[in-house]
Amino acid sequence: MGLYDMIVNSFKEVRKKVVKDSATNESVSSALAAELTLISTLLIAAIMLRHFNITLTVVVILGLGLLLTTNMPLIPKIKREQDDSLEKMVFYAILTLGILITVIYWGQTNV
Amino acid sequence: MNELIPLMVIIPIACGLLLNLLHKKDRSIRILAIFVAIVLPIIPLLSNFGLHYFGGHAPLIDNSTLLGTLPSFISNSALAIFHPAITYSYQSLQKLFIFILGIVAFFAIFTSFNETKKVSGPYMFLMFMGTAAVTALLLSDDIFHMYIFFEIAALCQVGIILVSSTKGNYETALKYMILGSIGGPLLLLGIGFLLGAVGSVNITDIVYAIKHNLVNPFSQTFLIGFGLIFFGWLYASGLPPFHTIKSSIYSKALPHSAALLQSFTVITFIALGIVIFRIFSYLPFMKMVILIFSLITMILGVTMAIIQTDFRRIIGFLAVGELGYIGIGIGIGTTLSLTAGIFQAVNEILTTALLFIGFGTVFYLTKTSDMKKLGGLIAQNPKVAIMVLLGGFAMAGVPPFNGFQSKLMIVQSSLNAGFPEIAIIAVLISIITFMTFMKVFHSVYLKPKPQDLQVVNESIPTSTIFSIVILLIICLIIGLFPQLVTDNIYPFVARLI
Amino acid sequence: MMDILFDTQLASFFTSAAFIIIGLFAAIFLDNIIKKIIGIAFIEEGANLFLVTLGYKPGGIVPIFLPGMNSEWFAANSAYALPHALVLTSVVIGASTLAVMLAIAMVLYKKHGTLSTSKILGDEK
Repeated sequence: MGLYDMIVNSFKEVRKKVVKDSATNESVSSALAAELTLISTLLIAAIMLRHFNITLTVVVILGLGLLLTTNMPLIPKIKREQDDSLEKMVFYAILTLGILITVIYWGQTNV
Repeated sequence: MNELIPLMVIIPIACGLLLNLLHKKDRSIRILAIFVAIVLPIIPLLSNFGLHYFGGHAPLIDNSTLLGTLPSFISNSALAIFHPAITYSYQSLQKLFIFILGIVAFFAIFTSFNETKKVSGPYMFLMFMGTAAVTALLLSDDIFHMYIFFEIAALCQVGIILVSSTKGNYETALKYMILGSIGGPLLLLGIGFLLGAVGSVNITDIVYAIKHNLVNPFSQTFLIGFGLIFFGWLYASGLPPFHTIKSSIYSKALPHSAALLQSFTVITFIALGIVIFRIFSYLPFMKMVILIFSLITMILGVTMAIIQTDFRRIIGFLAVGELGYIGIGIGIGTTLSLTAGIFQAVNEILTTALLFIGFGTVFYLTKTSDMKKLGGLIAQNPKVAIMVLLGGFAMAGVPPFNGFQSKLMIVQSSLNAGFPEIAIIAVLISIITFMTFMKVFHSVYLKPKPQDLQVVNESIPTSTIFSIVILLIICLIIGLFPQLVTDNIYPFVARLI
Repeated sequence: MMDILFDTQLASFFTSAAFIIIGLFAAIFLDNIIKKIIGIAFIEEGANLFLVTLGYKPGGIVPIFLPGMNSEWFAANSAYALPHALVLTSVVIGASTLAVMLAIAMVLYKKHGTLSTSKILGDEK
């Protein structure tokens, strides 16, 4: 019986490890879809810069493409940054406020 | 009959207070709540368009006897045109949105009676109070008044989450309040800057002052006011960086109240968005800023929605992502795009309410919203499943439903305005929305039923099915006859530009 | 420098800015939930003080039109009354927000036995 129990226990341990990493078929495929959506939409959105400057657009798109593809599993990183913790939410809120006010206030007066 | 205009706000507030007093008298609460909920969508249909001045203080120019007694430096200046009273302006747009809000509020209240075991007076009070606050937000032509009612609506939203007694609702409510206490006062500060520059909080007056060069609209006071009001708008409508908390709020509320909460958010978005457009459209970068944030909303909302495992959270994120379409309509800033954006807002209120109530039946049956634990529920009630599927089609923009019409208009308007990129992104995001919805539908209804899934309630209440059917019919009617809605929007937008 | 100190309006503007900055600091960085809420009250009061200050007029009179006053003189000398009326409403809103927040803090304290925000909000997943 001892050996049998050991085998069963080892199976249970292996199973625990597998279950903890809950990468099911569905979650992997959805993460993949989200990844592709993110990259493609960001690149398409970057084309809008052509209304200001063509050269800048080329540089930004090449840079953005390189940046996005080299940091490839983007979705786990984004998900980690957007979880429900208060600190991260407040951080991004204040960051947005800072950027918004800076750009609107000084961007207009010093151009 | 302009007397009906303030009644649109007063009736729900009075009803809410009365319901709070009637706590524990279930039968009378039920009758009163249903009665008022039926009355709410009817009042805007009966009322005439016009202005209502509280206290009867019309602008001096309309009151020639008083104007004659005043010194000439007042009667000849802009002060004679300014509005001294809090002014409610009731136009075709307000009519449309108050009607839609009334319908959603009716269904939320109607379904709540059967889905919650006890009828609670305070809960009804919060729903009615929130409805009244959002109605006032739409009607008001006074930006400070809007701030006050916006804060009341935010408090009601927090209250609705607190009474929902889902897991972790207090924590989420506290987070929302802390974030809101950063966003709200900054909005007030922005309004203060406008007040300091113009001397009036009436939006028509502010626009008049800017148009007639009474103030320097490019002064730093106006710029910082724009920045702060815009930030307050982001908080009010749950655009990034507030999209996580907004979707988390939807997922913590009970499904039928989530249907009401999202309609509050969309209407706040529209009301404040139109105010920002009216006041600040002279700034060259205003439209660009709105476009940038709308695009980020769409991208983040949908990508975050795909990877969630809780279906209420998914719909929450999708609802936030759909706001981006409305923002794009406002951001492009042509007559067609604004019409399309506001049309999309109407459709989003209806379809998201339909989806929340529809998927709410799953939560009602099983008391779980984790998709890993769900499956095979199509056997439970196939008719509801099919209707939820059709609701998802409406949201993703499949013809002949309403979402198709508004999204098509947005794509057309962005092509006309010379932004083909936005059109591509809009179509792409709409496809991903459809995919996400199908994923949810598959894992809730079609996947084999897990063995440990327990069905708590056997059957879905008839009132819920009734609500889903009616909402679906409304979606279909708007999809087939979009001019029913756009005819109301177009005259308003034409005067706006 | 002395001018700033003796100019009531400017001094009030600086005070309201200080209120908002201190409040933001407290609401973001302090961990104790009650301290966070006090910080939030600071932000609200800063915004209210800003509005009150807008209506200030050096050497102005109370904006009540009494019989016998010259209307031209009154219009030139009275303080601006609108911001004061607005602040009254906004104070009430701020107080009710504060009350709801403190009530939530009470419930959470009973549930978790601590006032630390990171402990209260960190463990729910």
